[in-house]
Amino acid sequence: MRIEPIRAAGGRPAHIRHDDDLISAKGVSVVMARQLVLQNIDLAIPKGSFVSLIGPSGCGKSTLLKVLAGLVDPTSGSVSIAGLSPVEAARKRMIGLVFQDANLLPWKNAVDNASMLLGIADKSLSRAQLKARGQEMLELVGLGDSAHKRPHELSGGMRQRVAIARALALDPAVLLMDEPFGALDAITRDSMGQSLLEIWQRTGKTIVLVTHSIDEAIHLSRHVHVLGIKPGRITESLDIGLPYPRDLSVTEDPEFVRLTVQLRTMLRASHQPGGAS
Amino acid sequence: MSDQPMTNFSESRFASSWSAATGSWLPAVILLLATIAAWEVVVRIFAISAFIIPAPSEIARSLVAQWATLMQATLVTAGEILFGFLVSVVVGIAIALVIVRFDWLGRALYPLVVLFQNVPKVALAPIFILWFGYGLAPKIGLILVIAFFPVTLSMLAGMQAVDRSLLSLMNSVGASQTQILFRIRVPHSLPNLMAGTKIAATLSVIGAIVGEFAGASDGLGYVIQFASTQLDTALVFAALLLVSVLGIAFYYAAEILERIVVPWAPKFSQA
Repeated sequence: MRIEPIRAAGGRPAHIRHDDDLISAKGVSVVMARQLVLQNIDLAIPKGSFVSLIGPSGCGKSTLLKVLAGLVDPTSGSVSIAGLSPVEAARKRMIGLVFQDANLLPWKNAVDNASMLLGIADKSLSRAQLKARGQEMLELVGLGDSAHKRPHELSGGMRQRVAIARALALDPAVLLMDEPFGALDAITRDSMGQSLLEIWQRTGKTIVLVTHSIDEAIHLSRHVHVLGIKPGRITESLDIGLPYPRDLSVTEDPEFVRLTVQLRTMLRASHQPGGAS
Repeated sequence: MSDQPMTNFSESRFASSWSAATGSWLPAVILLLATIAAWEVVVRIFAISAFIIPAPSEIARSLVAQWATLMQATLVTAGEILFGFLVSVVVGIAIALVIVRFDWLGRALYPLVVLFQNVPKVALAPIFILWFGYGLAPKIGLILVIAFFPVTLSMLAGMQAVDRSLLSLMNSVGASQTQILFRIRVPHSLPNLMAGTKIAATLSVIGAIVGEFAGASDGLGYVIQFASTQLDTALVFAALLLVSVLGIAFYYAAEILERIVVPWAPKFSQA
């Protein structure tokens, strides 16, 4: 077990910069269509951590994830991923992305979908190497025997597993996930969360998860950052002290219940528009 | 959405689609036969002159009597349709690719292509005859201007409907525009393209017949025109029947092609 960074009393651990922080955002603001979408975001995500971003609709949590991924440029402030800009990090295959929609290619089977991005990122790999890597990743996400199925033969949960395999095939340092289980039913969602925890523990990836599920955030993450609206900003940060490995029985733990209440209170407060800080 | 995998139901789907198909054809076939019978009866009872409305039996007789001529004309027209259709599909695809790949060229080209759609292309037939003579070329030209547009438009729609987050994924690993075009946009557009191709197949038949009307010495369009000047209306109808058969044949050929090219398309893969 790694030792948790010690947080200053009263929260706002985001300002604390540690050497083992893989991702750090400093003073990130984003203006889109004359709207201040994100205001002065400071964020430090330790290597190997599992961090959730939670907040009401329109708080800019997806935009923040896109900034970390290098898909949106911050209007001001900076982001570094292991000392690189997000775009440089992405080109070095350090970032794996998973969205709410699996976005698999319907004309390719599961194994070819899993290796599709890797094939584009690394042109030196042969077809056989790509297939082997795709198969390995499918096995990691529990779909080893569905390699030859086309997306339409897979359930929503299975398609999302392929999307995770596709991201992992790049062997990224960071997995950035934007509501990856948002379109799934509650039971599938729970089992996907549990699988993701197992994958995280086996691979040691740093995971940043955007979610609007309180249970999911507490079940999975080590740190939760709460974002408020108007403008989007980090209002609270919460450390989840529940020991790993966790399974679904963690939801019955009194500490889980206490954290749920605490996070719900924080989220309610985050719905109030804030002034300039 | 349930987490149960949608396993292969193709056999039962085939069985159910077969019964659905025959179930839906049967009323149409009955109506068609009833219409032909009524036609025959009305023409005989009211003794309608054969050069105004020939009885179905008269048309059948003409079909048999002129079989060799009609088959030769059918072959000529079928050749024009096939050639013109292929040229339309190739040109239609090429225009769509250029519009998507080269942004500024696309912005120059696309409005002109749409504007050109407002030209009544059938009216171009005499000009094409003037330029290219009476042979195959003016027919191909006419089919091309009539049939390329649905191909271009459907392929463009398919290429532009790629999900933004999929493009984000591609961009994040540094994919080039050409890679995105050929690995994502083009395959993604194939179901749309095949739908456009079916429309082009139907329009190609119209293009060939109009081309033959405007000036030809052969083909079913020529037979129709020649027979009508002779007041041989039964032969006009016989040729019309063969044109329709050609149209149906080309449409279904395009449909079979669709199943071969995009078996994964939503319309086939979703039960």
